[in-house]
Amino acid sequence: MDAADAATSTETEASIDLLVVVLDTNPSQHVVRQNPQNLTQILEAVIAFGNAHLMQKAQNKLAVLSCSHHATDFLYPLPGRQVELRQVDGQYEVFSLVEKTVKQQLGSILMNAPRLSSPCESLLAGSMSMALCYISRLQRNIGAGVKMHSRILVITGSNECASQYMTYMNVFFTAQKLNIVIDTCALDKTLSLLQQGCDITNGQFLKVTQLDGLLQYLLWVFLPSPQMRHKMVLPPPPKVDYRASCFCHRELIDIGYVCSVCLSVFCKYSPICTTCHTIFKMPGPLPIRPKKKKKPEKM
Amino acid sequence: MADDDKDDQKEYRWETGYEKTWEAIKEDDDGMLDSAIADLIQKAKRKRQAEKTKQNRLGMMRHLFIVLDCSESMSVPDLKPTRLLCTLKLLEIFIEEFFDQNPISQLGIIALKAKRAEKITELTGTSRVHLKALEGLANVSLTSEPSLQNGLDLALKTLKVVPSHASREIVIIMGSLTTCDPVDINSTIEELQKERIRCSVISLSAEIHICRHLTQQTMGTFGAVLDDSHFRDQLLSQIDPPPAAKTQDNSLIRMGFPHSKNESDGKDAALSMCMCHIENSDEPSELSTTGHHCPQCNSKYCELPVECLCCGLTLVSAPHLARSYHHLFPVPNFEELPFESVPPEAPDFGSLRKCYSCIKVLNAVADKSVFKCGYCQQFFCIDCDIFIHETLHACVGCNTIPGVAGLVYQKQGGKAAPDFHQQQPSMMPSSSKQRSQQYSM
Repeated sequence: MDAADAATSTETEASIDLLVVVLDTNPSQHVVRQNPQNLTQILEAVIAFGNAHLMQKAQNKLAVLSCSHHATDFLYPLPGRQVELRQVDGQYEVFSLVEKTVKQQLGSILMNAPRLSSPCESLLAGSMSMALCYISRLQRNIGAGVKMHSRILVITGSNECASQYMTYMNVFFTAQKLNIVIDTCALDKTLSLLQQGCDITNGQFLKVTQLDGLLQYLLWVFLPSPQMRHKMVLPPPPKVDYRASCFCHRELIDIGYVCSVCLSVFCKYSPICTTCHTIFKMPGPLPIRPKKKKKPEKM
Repeated sequence: MADDDKDDQKEYRWETGYEKTWEAIKEDDDGMLDSAIADLIQKAKRKRQAEKTKQNRLGMMRHLFIVLDCSESMSVPDLKPTRLLCTLKLLEIFIEEFFDQNPISQLGIIALKAKRAEKITELTGTSRVHLKALEGLANVSLTSEPSLQNGLDLALKTLKVVPSHASREIVIIMGSLTTCDPVDINSTIEELQKERIRCSVISLSAEIHICRHLTQQTMGTFGAVLDDSHFRDQLLSQIDPPPAAKTQDNSLIRMGFPHSKNESDGKDAALSMCMCHIENSDEPSELSTTGHHCPQCNSKYCELPVECLCCGLTLVSAPHLARSYHHLFPVPNFEELPFESVPPEAPDFGSLRKCYSCIKVLNAVADKSVFKCGYCQQFFCIDCDIFIHETLHACVGCNTIPGVAGLVYQKQGGKAAPDFHQQQPSMMPSSSKQRSQQYSM
């Protein structure tokens, strides 16, 4: 091992890896509606995965957020109070703390949740923004000379909420700025917005084909830290489509017109912007003008 | 201070009473000053935030020239290590941040060397070129006087041909107190005024009449720096897009949204070279299958946004446009409230008061004031308040609680926004959804 390698390895030893799991616990997810037992299975996998992350290094940190249909809450850690803790079967205390806290907290959230009358969307972008606030707080409070690598793992089986487009984008760009990697584990559908987010922040997007193997997927693909991933053979990144859809017909377009004031995208030229009601200057000379000039000459 | 307008009849600095700066600093219970100082810093941060006014129309597509004084006066070591090196360091930060916040804008650098003006970089949209040029400027020999007029003329010549829908700006960083001009500089100022090019000046020495006059005529800002951190603030205040000039033409701009070719044919695209590196001998173009293809002429580029070299089409991706939206729809300022107004949690959870977004336990000493969003009614600590407004640009509460979800607040104030909500002025989530779906791409 040469000097540079040794330096990086001591650097990784001293640094803190923070993993924030954003778990979609919305009961209207397709996987949960199919079989309510699935949620238990997902939860078990997440706890095992979180503990595996904590096991890798003593400095590693974990946070779990639940994104439900009515609110976003922290499942772990909880501020201020601790669940009563005793060593069980010689298990490392932190592991049982994670398991107990997450289960207890999620239980109380589900019990207190308002009844769901109709399926509703999970506000994942909001939960991710909360995770970013939490990460930025920890980042501010770490001591000088200590490095922290943070990442967010989103585990969801619901659809993306189109109304949160702007929030998603703000979250992705904030994460990119703070060097936070966003990983996504999609349980049901391919999510194009989160795919873009993973691409922007150099994260990994994975669509799970078999829910039974969730833990294995998590451990194989998402456990290695992003710094280590380029040495591994991971699923190839999906082709991300960055085309814009026009505001008038919602179709993906190759060439469009963009309003210089509000940046709305249109597929055809129109003299007035439907979003901000700006009146545009016509491009080039108006076609009628030369005619008018010519006519008096002829007469 | 230096930024005070001349017109407001203030007494001179030396006529005002003593500024008792030490009185603002109080010891805390342990006799430490840290918390008092932290307080002052945070107040200053919030003040900056509060000063940001909501603008309806911004010049989002900016064409900006930085005119940098490289005369003898830049070697003065009052900014450490020298004025020039300090400026270059700050410009690096500025350029990175500028392109981050204004992704579809262009920037160029002009240096004023020995009474001449020299274009260091052309107007381009990539930061790499500029950062490289800045490195080269560090070793430039600083001699003689600058010529403000030559610099302005050169910038004017280039900006004249920029389409009229773009916002055209010049930022001048002046170290010298004098300028050595070939003819009457007032004619240049008139020309700039006629072309509606906004000129701002940051003076590293003192307020200079001609610079102040220039900024007043062209609707720019003038600032003389006190020290390096003040300089930094002054420079970074140029990052936010300025309000669009009233006379600025609005137009629809034709843009291309490239997508990788492989999707269309199903199999891997042929190896090809990108246009951006083809004439660059330092980093020759590499053969690859990936890249962004211009939808009009099919030439390939490895980075976006870019203006197609072959057909002149502006190529962008949807997230680039989305990145600029937060200038148009900023998060409204939160209300500052005393610590006691936060409702504590249920007693069986320990009766704690928490920040909604980062679950920090608030305590009465360190968090004297908390911040409440007027829409979702959630409380935030001061750090989250700053983080949400300066970096995240989305209120955590409004985006996690269904009902207030989405972007309802963006209709308040402003004239451009209410149009979205004409039919449904109520705070119904459905109306917010309609509105924001317009923005989904």
